[in-house]
Amino acid sequence: MRRWKSRVLLLVLTLASLAQSSTPLLNPEVRRLGNKLRCQCGCEASVTECNMINCHSADPLRAELLKMVEAGQNEESIIAAMVERHGKVILRQPPAQGFFLLGWIMPFAAAGAGLAFLWWFLRRKSRPAAAAAEAAPELEIDDPEFARYRDRIEKDLAKLD
Amino acid sequence: MENLGALAILLAFCLSVYAIFGSVIGAWKKRPFLVVSARRAVYGMWAMLTLASGLLVYGLMTADMRLSYVASHVNHAMPTLYKFAAWWGGQEGSLLLWSWLLATYAVIVLVSTRGRFREMMPWVITTLMVTQCFFLILNAFVEPPFKVLAVGKGIVAVEDGRGLNPLLQYWAMAIHPPMLYLGYVGFAVPFAFALGSLITRQPGEAWIHETRRWTLVTWLFQSTGILLGAGWAYAVLGWGGYWGWDPVENASLLPWITATAFLHSVMMQEKKGMMKIWNMVLIAATFFLCIFGTFLTRSGIVSSVHAFGVSAIGKYFVTFIALGLAATIWLILDRLDYLKSEAHLESVVSRESAFLFNNLILLASCFAVLWGTLFPVVTEAVMGEKISVGAPFFNRVNVPIGLFLLFLTGVGPLIAWRRSSVESLKKAFLWPSAGGLLTIALLAALGVHHVYALISFGLCVFVTWTVAQEFWKGAAAISARTKQNMVAAMIELTHRNTRRYGGYLVHMGVVIMFIGFTGAAFNKDTTVEVGIGQSFQLAGYDLKVREIRDGDNPNYAWQHAVVDVTVKGQHVATLEPEKRVYKASRQPTSEVAIRRRLNEDLYLNFASMSQDSPDKAVMQAYVFPLVSWIWIGFWVLFFGTLVCLVPPKTKLAYARTQVVGVVTKHATVEK
Repeated sequence: MRRWKSRVLLLVLTLASLAQSSTPLLNPEVRRLGNKLRCQCGCEASVTECNMINCHSADPLRAELLKMVEAGQNEESIIAAMVERHGKVILRQPPAQGFFLLGWIMPFAAAGAGLAFLWWFLRRKSRPAAAAAEAAPELEIDDPEFARYRDRIEKDLAKLD
Repeated sequence: MENLGALAILLAFCLSVYAIFGSVIGAWKKRPFLVVSARRAVYGMWAMLTLASGLLVYGLMTADMRLSYVASHVNHAMPTLYKFAAWWGGQEGSLLLWSWLLATYAVIVLVSTRGRFREMMPWVITTLMVTQCFFLILNAFVEPPFKVLAVGKGIVAVEDGRGLNPLLQYWAMAIHPPMLYLGYVGFAVPFAFALGSLITRQPGEAWIHETRRWTLVTWLFQSTGILLGAGWAYAVLGWGGYWGWDPVENASLLPWITATAFLHSVMMQEKKGMMKIWNMVLIAATFFLCIFGTFLTRSGIVSSVHAFGVSAIGKYFVTFIALGLAATIWLILDRLDYLKSEAHLESVVSRESAFLFNNLILLASCFAVLWGTLFPVVTEAVMGEKISVGAPFFNRVNVPIGLFLLFLTGVGPLIAWRRSSVESLKKAFLWPSAGGLLTIALLAALGVHHVYALISFGLCVFVTWTVAQEFWKGAAAISARTKQNMVAAMIELTHRNTRRYGGYLVHMGVVIMFIGFTGAAFNKDTTVEVGIGQSFQLAGYDLKVREIRDGDNPNYAWQHAVVDVTVKGQHVATLEPEKRVYKASRQPTSEVAIRRRLNEDLYLNFASMSQDSPDKAVMQAYVFPLVSWIWIGFWVLFFGTLVCLVPPKTKLAYARTQVVGVVTKHATVEK
């Protein structure tokens, strides 16, 4: 009974996987463009790379891409059409315009600011050894008597535990 | 059973609260017995959490379908290993694992510091227990693992559970989360020591000496966890990527970066008493980034494959992070005098400034990753428009940063402390630079024109050369004196200063990993529809589908292709990629077949049967050059870190640090 049930299950599932389409991926142009778009199933991968079988997001997107590629549209218009239909969220990186530029600039701006700060810091802080030694306070040398007492206290306290 | 488990968690919560108050009041009012009782509360809490975890694992192993957690993460047909791994397969269980690990770390800390750090320990316990208490609140009240399935007032059991997510039923995935957690949780310990020493104004660098090993071991766990995740993604996800810049992956990378920065800059504090504030900041950042990572994974604030879905626990995390950060910042600001630097930079060209650069660049990459991860949240808040920030962004931003870091890996260790002369720099860098440039020229002549790849390979040679030169020079000196052969001399050299030479080995591991990463510039792939007996070609490989089989077992139904691989007419391998459909979850997965070689991997994914002609299979084939070097590099890094942990043969004395310790102590006494 179990075995029979499994067979039926397998059959059903095989049929389901037949119904899905990864055929658009056979087209290298679809694969290339699909790599620039983000699958919306939550996998964070590109439309080309989404590994989910029967993905509810990648499969229709691939079919859309194939249709446009076969209609002879160029890359620019395909991407523009995809953004129009699905929003900017379809792109895998923020567009380099307006507020979104901030996304691109900030990491480099931060690194640059860090470098500038470091430069200023090094210029200000670095000074010859002689001057530094002058500025250093006189150090007191530990009293051996004091150390003995401290050891004693530590030992006594250790017994507590 | 479920009652006992829930009770154990509640008791653990009470004990953690007691431990906090016991430590604080005991330390404040100078009542040693109260402190001792707080320590014992920690042991008790650990016992309670162990009991609760044991009960949950027992429930999972025996597939007790009355428990809602078990029913959603286990099914009868699942292999035992994965039933056990279901402990961390879901929100409630993994939070319990977090708590249990933290409790275990706390116990290890208590046992290993018995009788030492009298003054500081209560505060270390307090810090650990506040964190523990926070997680126990989640365990006990927000995400209880021992919820039962009930209809009305009667407890019911379902017939079979949903099983663990099939993608997670893979060996590396069974150990990847605990490794990462060991890393995440472990960073709480150095942080606790840092706060403890800050609160009690501990003299000298006691907390650093005590926690260096902790940090290193924790860092190793974190590295292992990240690499296991990469290995899993590569072998399971079906498109051959090992790093997708997913928010949760980024979350595990962030504390790793700050911890790496800390491990470097801490040397400045140990050796020269500098950068004390900075190190405090770094260790605190690492700890809070760990908590933040846990928060990202669990709150559903950003969408991710790894996330446990939307949950109400986000606000608890935000509160905890906000309060914790505020307290830490206040403490650091309040005790700036204690964190005063004892030495000054003497030259811009010195090891000290190399460390500063290293830290800056690490932090810059940390910021870039954090910024990219959160930018979608920012734009949605500001513009009201959703965008996504994916792999292309992170690669573009981080590749240059990574290459610069690789460069510093070679430069830093060769610059002398305090100041370096132009003459000595010339001597140290002439040959390595020549080697690197020659490599670039040679590869360019051979037809490699990818700019980043050329730079990366050139830098790899440069760094390898500098490291080899260091080993060679040291070993030659020893062998001249002791008449040992070079190999024995190198081992002797490493043993004398394990930190330094272990560190070099870690750097070598990083270099080897970079070789692997660089291979990605030359990936090739194809997708084809082929019938049985037909063949297709990719990058010199000839792949012929011999047959397609199917069958099933209680856990899943499968279908797999047998593909013969030939190169120039020579049969080199038979690959059998498989497609599975897990019965409990009805989720289909791909099991890719990989032929791993040092020069390149041949990677075959059986995508599906064809839509148009049902007797044809859709195959995706990839060639990934050099990818194996990533895993080899990891093992070198692993080994190098272990070498760092071996106590050195010759004790390194930092006399300066000792003396300074006394000054501070006198200062406290005079108060």
